[in-house]
Amino acid sequence: MSDFLRFFDKTTAIVLLLICLTGILLIISASSTSPPAHHLRQAVFLLVALGAGFLAMRFKTETVFRLAMPAYIFLIVLLVIQIVAGRVIAGTRSWLRLGIISIQVSEFIKIPLALLMARYLARIREVSWRELGRLGAMVMLPVTLIALQPDMGVAFILCSLFMVTFLLKRVRLVVILALLLSITAGSVLVWQTVLKPYQKSRIISFLNPEKFSQSSGYQIIQSRIAVGSGGLAGKGYMRGSQSQLEFLPTRHTDFIVSVLGEEFGFLGVSFLLLLYFVLFARQLRFRSSGDAQFYFVYLFTGLILFQFLVNVLMAIGYFPVLGVPLPFVSYGGSSLLSFMIGEGLIFRMRMNPYLNEY
Amino acid sequence: MYIDRRLLSIGDMDRISRIATAILVLVFSILLFVFWNIQIINHDHYGELAHQNIYRRIRTRAPRGLIQDRHGRIMAGNRLDFGLFLIRENSRDLEASIRFAVDVIGLSEELVRRRLEAFKGYPGAFPVPIRRNLNLSQVVKARSRSDTQPEFEVTVEPRRDYPLKRTAAHVLGYVSEITEDELREGSHRGYLSGDAVGKNGVEKQFEPVLKGTKGTRLVIRDNLGVVRRVVEEEEPVPGDNITLTIDLPLQQYVESEFREYTGAVAVADLETGGILAMVSQPVFDPGTFTGILDPQTWQALASDPRRPLQNRFTRGRYSPGSVFKIVMALAGLEEGLINPGTTVTCTGSVRIYDRDFRCWRSWGHGKVNLTTAVRDSCNVYFYLLGRRMDIDVIAGYAAALGLGEKTGIDLPGEISGIMPTRFWKRQHMDSRWYPGETISVAIGGGWVTVTPVQVLQMVSTVALRGRCPHLHFLKRIERRGEDLFRSVPRFRMLPIRPENFEQVVAGMYRVVNDEGTGRAARVAGIDICGKTGTQQVISKDNPRYEQLVKQKRFRPHAWFASFAPRGNPRYAVVVLVEHGGDAGEIAAPLAGRIYKRLFAHE
Repeated sequence: MSDFLRFFDKTTAIVLLLICLTGILLIISASSTSPPAHHLRQAVFLLVALGAGFLAMRFKTETVFRLAMPAYIFLIVLLVIQIVAGRVIAGTRSWLRLGIISIQVSEFIKIPLALLMARYLARIREVSWRELGRLGAMVMLPVTLIALQPDMGVAFILCSLFMVTFLLKRVRLVVILALLLSITAGSVLVWQTVLKPYQKSRIISFLNPEKFSQSSGYQIIQSRIAVGSGGLAGKGYMRGSQSQLEFLPTRHTDFIVSVLGEEFGFLGVSFLLLLYFVLFARQLRFRSSGDAQFYFVYLFTGLILFQFLVNVLMAIGYFPVLGVPLPFVSYGGSSLLSFMIGEGLIFRMRMNPYLNEY
Repeated sequence: MYIDRRLLSIGDMDRISRIATAILVLVFSILLFVFWNIQIINHDHYGELAHQNIYRRIRTRAPRGLIQDRHGRIMAGNRLDFGLFLIRENSRDLEASIRFAVDVIGLSEELVRRRLEAFKGYPGAFPVPIRRNLNLSQVVKARSRSDTQPEFEVTVEPRRDYPLKRTAAHVLGYVSEITEDELREGSHRGYLSGDAVGKNGVEKQFEPVLKGTKGTRLVIRDNLGVVRRVVEEEEPVPGDNITLTIDLPLQQYVESEFREYTGAVAVADLETGGILAMVSQPVFDPGTFTGILDPQTWQALASDPRRPLQNRFTRGRYSPGSVFKIVMALAGLEEGLINPGTTVTCTGSVRIYDRDFRCWRSWGHGKVNLTTAVRDSCNVYFYLLGRRMDIDVIAGYAAALGLGEKTGIDLPGEISGIMPTRFWKRQHMDSRWYPGETISVAIGGGWVTVTPVQVLQMVSTVALRGRCPHLHFLKRIERRGEDLFRSVPRFRMLPIRPENFEQVVAGMYRVVNDEGTGRAARVAGIDICGKTGTQQVISKDNPRYEQLVKQKRFRPHAWFASFAPRGNPRYAVVVLVEHGGDAGEIAAPLAGRIYKRLFAHE
């Protein structure tokens, strides 16, 4: 226990906590005009998530890797059950109701998935056809199920795990080419068959939001106005006209960055970016005691980074509106909980070289 | 048991770390640049858009100025009106909005769609006026769902109100919603779609005075268009109040007397030239137009063959008939062609230019002089006078007395009528003037057409022995109790000798008081002078005349132009009854009753 306290990366933890608290601060402002007290619930979520994170940190990394496969299968089964018999909430079937708590199963699958991938990457020398097939099967099974729910945001984010692989492993050029080709073909196929018109218009409207200003482009335009009108120092906390007068849509979840940009300006945004930068940079700079752990930290951090980028770019109209929350900041218990558990595992893995048992 | 192998060297891990850090630096630099671009470089642009989002400058309509009669009784006022507006931008589903308006508020679907169609080209933020004059239950229904139907807005605005309904409708005119064409023309600067604008009568004539000045209200609204805060407010300035020369009790009396006829009646105050009463029949209800007029009602009014919207006083075209003999008598005397002693023997007809011209009394009037010729309205006397006169000379006198010319009365759309000359005939008929036509003109027939207001002006001029009054309705314009304008009597002197007027007046006196054609107008104790005119609408030469004239539409128009008292004239009255039949039986007694009432109040 004393080792835990000694080697626990307090700086990163404080940065992470600051990011989470910024989130609550913004949620207070974002939901000040609507009755449900989102910020109080988010505070509860945060406490639960922090507890879960600490708990995850106490697990031996070896045990965690061993639990990965059963957890993966369990969650896949849950996803299937949801699709077959799931309740329809907010147009998607991604919520599982357990008593009064609704859990978004798809948010959690990224942990066992990243663990499985990391373990597999540790076993192979380079990515060739066979390896690509294995990795593809691992990722595409949950992605397909989640896309069917349909939760395109989460499905899309999971695909980012592939990209990190390129950084970590040597990949044969033909494999890269084949992958690019299949991604293109797959995208076209998905576009033609799976996507519904509203999803299509959501995706393309970011290219020309003015054309869709009455429908899907509205969010992008209003969000950009919010961010742009914030200027250098912002309009002041709780004084952003775009958020307080409700021009900004889903501002406590998808567009929370816009609230920050409007009320705290460029300085506020820079501060949050700095916090994230420190978090990512510190997490990625370490020497691991095992290959799988090293890969996991990279895969999972890469996933957070990718989701962070998608959310931020979406808020300023440089990316399609996919409905992806900002990690640790956006309102939402499932997302926060799963990321915190992941962070707990990462903290532990980064401590492992200094601990006697792992 | 799973054991995490370590194959990666420290160097491998450090290399990957460095690459990852480099990628992070790059990514975050790009992000910073992107935010810098939006928040700092384009800040003004987005700041302006955010400003436009929340601030709305709302124009508030001003109440129109009041229109009062000479005693200060309100003829046109304002009342509060609940209007329903639809802001399409705030509607999630326009069809659902239409259904709400139809099912919940209870409007007709056709109306709602027509209004939306009419404002299709407007921006989505423009409040489309769907209906005015909502009743309270509709207001409650429309507001009850303001959370789910934020696109509907109920406004309270002043609206024109005519408390006396149809009374003096043709004097007042009406207001209605400004049309797209009027907005485009540019003549209506400062108007907005949905504004009321005077379309006829005094409402139109004095539109700039009555309309007032809009107020503005700067508000902050949310994404649903709900006003959260009023930032600044400038109250609208009501229009200026107008007082008319109309005497409301008299107006109402004349209307009640004239109700069953078609035509026009007007009473002028000869001291000032102000019109005390003016009736044009049939009449319309000006209140019909103030709301949002549905096309059926408008069609019905506009295409009604009785033409209720036409103000016959200023826009009715009629042959003056025997009333024109006043002009002939004056012209003859002034030109020295006749004198009071000149006599003519009427045998019922006279042959001029190889054509028989008939007197209305087929057995003739016998020997007549000027006064008896006027008294009995003898055609032969005036045929013979006409034969000795040139049409251009007759037209000159008629024009001097105001016939065939606009009087300039303060109502919009006055027409001039026609007083033919040789030049006119050449221009309009491309033909020379035939002498026989002059004979028809001599008894007010032929090409001559006049309006009742011209006849009123002429008879007023005769009454005042050559002082032609400027006839008008406007007495006063005031703003907050202070006069901006007060009408002063204006007269124009005619270069005709007063003794010649005396001769004609003598004849007109005998028309009423000496068994003349207008004896039915006689009121004991009031010296009324007048002249009848019974203008055939079909020729008496028509072989079926006796049959046809039984149908109302072939009956002659009946004129009575008059003033009283003879010596010190104070009032002039003109009556025109379309297809009224004999003027002495229809028009004259009505004038008599009006004089009786005018003098009874003294």
